Amino acid sequence: MMLLRLLSWPYLRRHLLRWMLTLAGIVLGVAVFVAMHTANRSIFKSFDETVDQIAGTTQLQVSAGEFGFEESILERVQAVREVGVAVPIIEATVETKIAGQGSILILGVDMTGDRGLRDYELQDADEAIIDDPLVFLAQPDSLMVTKEFAERNHLEVNSKISLVTLSGEKEFTVRGIMSSTGMAQAFGGNLAIMDIYAAQQILGRGLRFDRIDVRASDEFSVDQCQAAIKAALGPSFEVEPPSARGRHFESLLSSYSMAMTVTSLFALIVGMFIIYNSFAIAVTQRRSEIGILRALGATRGQVQQLFFLESLVAGSVGSVLGAFAGVAMAAGITQYMSTVLEQTAGFTQRVTELAVDPMLIATALAIGIVTSTFAAWIPARSAARVDPVHALQKGKYQVLSAGENRRRRWMAAAAFLISIVCLLLSSSKLLFYTGYVLMITAGLLLAPALTLLLSKALRPVLKRVLPAEGTLAADSLVQAPRRTSATVSALMLSLAMVVGFGGFAHSFLTSVSEWMDQALNPDFLVSASANLVTRAITFPAETASVIERVPGVRQVQLVRNARVPFRGIPVMIIAIETEKISQTVHRIPVAGDLEEMDRLTASGKGTIVSDSFASIHGVGIGDPIELPTPAGLLKLPIVGIVRDYSDMQGSLFIDRSVYTKWWNDTTANVARVYVNNGENVDAVRQRVIDAMAGHHRLLVLTNREVREWIMKLLDQWFALTYNQIAVAILVAVLGIVNTLTVSITDRRRELGVMQAVGGFRSQIRRTIWLEALSIGLIGLVLGIGLGAINLYYSLGMVKRDFGGLELDYIFPLAFVVFMVPTILTAAFLAAVGPAESAVRGTLVEALEYE
Amino acid sequence: MNSVVLMFALSSFLLQQDPRQIVEEAQRRAASQSQRYEGTLQVINAQKKITEKRWQYARIGSHGASKSILRFTAPAEVKGVALLVVNHPERASDQWMWTPNINRDRRIALQDRSSRFFATDFSFEDLEERDTNQFDYKLLGEETIDGAVCWKLQSTPKQSKVSQYSQSYVWIRKDNYVLMQIENYSKSELVRRARYSDLRNVQGIWTAHQVDMHDLKRDSHTILKTDKLQYNLPMKDEAFTLQALRRQQ
Repeated sequence: MMLLRLLSWPYLRRHLLRWMLTLAGIVLGVAVFVAMHTANRSIFKSFDETVDQIAGTTQLQVSAGEFGFEESILERVQAVREVGVAVPIIEATVETKIAGQGSILILGVDMTGDRGLRDYELQDADEAIIDDPLVFLAQPDSLMVTKEFAERNHLEVNSKISLVTLSGEKEFTVRGIMSSTGMAQAFGGNLAIMDIYAAQQILGRGLRFDRIDVRASDEFSVDQCQAAIKAALGPSFEVEPPSARGRHFESLLSSYSMAMTVTSLFALIVGMFIIYNSFAIAVTQRRSEIGILRALGATRGQVQQLFFLESLVAGSVGSVLGAFAGVAMAAGITQYMSTVLEQTAGFTQRVTELAVDPMLIATALAIGIVTSTFAAWIPARSAARVDPVHALQKGKYQVLSAGENRRRRWMAAAAFLISIVCLLLSSSKLLFYTGYVLMITAGLLLAPALTLLLSKALRPVLKRVLPAEGTLAADSLVQAPRRTSATVSALMLSLAMVVGFGGFAHSFLTSVSEWMDQALNPDFLVSASANLVTRAITFPAETASVIERVPGVRQVQLVRNARVPFRGIPVMIIAIETEKISQTVHRIPVAGDLEEMDRLTASGKGTIVSDSFASIHGVGIGDPIELPTPAGLLKLPIVGIVRDYSDMQGSLFIDRSVYTKWWNDTTANVARVYVNNGENVDAVRQRVIDAMAGHHRLLVLTNREVREWIMKLLDQWFALTYNQIAVAILVAVLGIVNTLTVSITDRRRELGVMQAVGGFRSQIRRTIWLEALSIGLIGLVLGIGLGAINLYYSLGMVKRDFGGLELDYIFPLAFVVFMVPTILTAAFLAAVGPAESAVRGTLVEALEYE
Repeated sequence: MNSVVLMFALSSFLLQQDPRQIVEEAQRRAASQSQRYEGTLQVINAQKKITEKRWQYARIGSHGASKSILRFTAPAEVKGVALLVVNHPERASDQWMWTPNINRDRRIALQDRSSRFFATDFSFEDLEERDTNQFDYKLLGEETIDGAVCWKLQSTPKQSKVSQYSQSYVWIRKDNYVLMQIENYSKSELVRRARYSDLRNVQGIWTAHQVDMHDLKRDSHTILKTDKLQYNLPMKDEAFTLQALRRQQ
């Protein structure tokens, strides 16, 4: 501790800016980690809370996927002896027409029995009818809202609210206001209770319920009740506690969560290199000090401990600041992620407070501290080995010894070879990821040697561009490979991630675009919601007849899709009119014959699955699929695998006739409309809108609008990750600033001599700039090279763990070309401050510097 | 001869002391093949606010196996809402509710019977007819209600019957076997008290034209007044089905 106070503290004070830049690496890395995970946790927690608050005293929930089931199931459940209370539920979010309020969660309940499970704690009601469920039931426009919602929108009993329903915009009457406790807190207070049969009408549910909430009879346990209901209903129904919905939600978004974890950790890894670089420089600059300490009797252990303590302090301070910054950033990220999830997965959530997890903060702190101490380990060890005699010799310490170079090359070769072996055996996930890590490690081990090589290769080029300045810049890089290579490694790693992700995004967007060309080719789509992933509102099949009668319409294809549980994971079932689709859509087969798979599916003898579904669940042609339906367990063999991007968790295509038969539901989500050749599409579209005016409120979206909506969705999905990568690049660029700052400090006398013999300040500036641009360029070359390898592994990771997507390897050339001027500009900007610092101060001070 | 008279008198006396037979006699005297009336329901809450509804009531069949339809006629917000109750001697009744504005009927589930009947102090179970075989009875003595001497009996549901009440106390007038009061208990706590008044003889049947149900937990009252009461009118069984419920509006 005394050494820390006597030696470390004065050094830190002299080089405060550099230490701040060093800390910034850890702060940013920890901040991103904390922010992403806090946002993730807040959304999941909000979902769980909504589920719990709405559930009330519900112990079990009976469901059959998102399709729901017939009303007759309710009586079967109520007839089970172990059941105490069983009430039907419909749940959906609908759009309000209240400015700034967005959507509201509608809970359709049977008020005659629901009070056994939920307490509405009515605060107020109509003057004439107080707390009167009879009027509530008798008037289908009745709503109960929360006190919070009422106050926010200046509503009172008998106020009117407009909601967007299947029949268009309709007015509803507030007939009760719930106090702000329990259920009323769900969905951020944007919750309304409606009679279940009225809800069926406005949401197009027909004679179906979404689920049944159950409480066991007092004489039986919940487990007994669960077993009895399962026995009564069969395997087609899920009978789970309310908390299971939260697990389903999490499993649906697991690949997204994993992607967030990986990309947030990258920022930390890059920060680690900054720390390493700073400590390596510190050890180098303090060699004389260390030599003197050793000469006076300090042990190697004490010297090593000193640097460890410094890294511990730096890591602790950086981590704490990073944790605070992360929590501050989390709010904005949470809102953004909620919006993205609503638009991509159809889950609407209102996150009202951040779920800051002390364990997460502790983990982030630990990771930051461990990263910092780990990064300082090699420099600390190096400091401990300083020979007191050699410590006073200048110059030699910057050079990488031949032995050290050889060792690194051998280790890199070994890592590379093992990585290749792992690649050949990459059917094993463990070996695949081991190979990935080893390949990156090989790149990092080779970075110093390659940096030196490229620096030497750049020397003649720089000399030709600017003879004096270029030579000085190149010499600075060549003579200080340790300093340079650490920064280059950080930049290389960041760029490798950028190229890898950029390539994945480019490949994914290209694949999606091809898929849209082939599969999403109707002239327009008719939907009950502007958000095409919203499946809560459906329309009757008769709508197809109305549209087909419109002049100019060639064909209408109905689609019904929803998630059902398959092996514990919600998967997307898409019921299509297979025969019609096969004539108009040219799908990309991955396995099986297209004609044969269509024929079998159309006749109800099979199902076609997406390639991601097959990959995630490890199934292939001929494998049986069992799907729970209200009519029993539906068993179909897989007759084909196609490329499809309808859902991240994979999709299953069945014929609409099969869906209608097994789910006893004739409604649809979407109608795909084709126009006669030669017809004006816009004119036909308007005729369709006019034809449906008297029926249901449906949106008619042109093909272009749908594509734009999908691309916008994907951009939003990727935007968050792009931002994280930008943070990693920023951290790497900070490394350049750090390196240049040290370089200028080390060369202050040299730069002073330059000015003394007639060098201009502009020449010194140019020298620094060139040095920064060179670092940027070397980082780019190595980063793009490693990035090309990283892209291959990234695509492999996506296939294995992020949705099972099979994407083509497409090197993102345009993206890389864009990165070149971006990185070089960033490197140049990083050099501006240090360059000015180099020319500041008097000549005498510079020459006296030692 | 004297011993025969004595034995007859003694057996008659003993017969009158059998609680089940008291209840059965009360039911026998109130029995009719059909019944119709117009009712007014006033709900007075703890803050003394009064709400009023009106309905038409019709019943057919013997006690414990009857069917009845209750159709609201006022206020306008609830006009047309109807309830069909089909009683069974051996099990709990079946109940359905019809809502004309959404054109739907719904079954009132068995477990819902304890909930309040449309914001009144009656529960759905209170609307069911109690078959004597579903209960055990015990004679507790005599008390006076509104100046009339009554038998006080304890009624406990048998295991086979699902009820929200653990037991009830029933007061039956000794002179005309009219039900005067019922106190319903849930786990030894008094939860509801029904008081019958305004007795009138209609077609030879003594009937209370006012029932005051007091919910002690909520401290609210519901007063049901019967008007235009008629017994043994010709009614068709088909008029007491779910189809009829949906048809009549």
